Amino acid sequence: MSDALANRLRELRLERDLTQAALAELVGVSRKTINTVENGVFVPSTTLALKLARALGCRVEDIFTLEQE
Amino acid sequence: MVDLGDQETAERVGRSRALTLTLLGGLFLMQQLSNFVSEARHPERPVDYVRAVVWLVTSVVMVVIVATNFWFGRPEVGPLINDEVTRAHRAEALRFGFLATMIACFCLYPVTLFEPLSGRHAIHLVMSVGIAAALVRFGLLERRALADE
Repeated sequence: MSDALANRLRELRLERDLTQAALAELVGVSRKTINTVENGVFVPSTTLALKLARALGCRVEDIFTLEQE
Repeated sequence: MVDLGDQETAERVGRSRALTLTLLGGLFLMQQLSNFVSEARHPERPVDYVRAVVWLVTSVVMVVIVATNFWFGRPEVGPLINDEVTRAHRAEALRFGFLATMIACFCLYPVTLFEPLSGRHAIHLVMSVGIAAALVRFGLLERRALADE
């Protein structure tokens, strides 16, 4: 059984009225990175996950969860 | 925190880089295959030495582009256009390029049993396939990542 990483990044970002570019600016990465994380194309490093959580004012677990396939 | 102007610059540079590298990779491979066929038909013409030098220089430039994070522009923009996702794409492109190189070798080896091929020609073919595959893969991955939300 493998685990897939699900994320609520888009939902949390929209709740805070942030565009991808604005969130990217807060975190210090490119919009491309936010886009790929939201679409589940890219699994971010722990560092980036912590930065995203800090920028959104929540815990990493609120953004990312493990889904059993 | 980075400036929104830097974000826009990074987005613009990223988009043109993705498109350019995809097209460049395809053109590079087509041109080299055409040179290869032409050299096989008319060996040892002086123009072929010029072509070989141009190919060698172009190959070095392309390997540098696909394998390194070089950036000559504003230092604030550099980390944005070579961030975590881009580094992952580079790694994937290099893996893909390596696989393409191996496949080219696997295909070329049995051919040389029936059709003798000089070392120079074999290197030319295998390197061109590997570099072009890595460039196109990198460009396509970047284009997909840059798609609008």
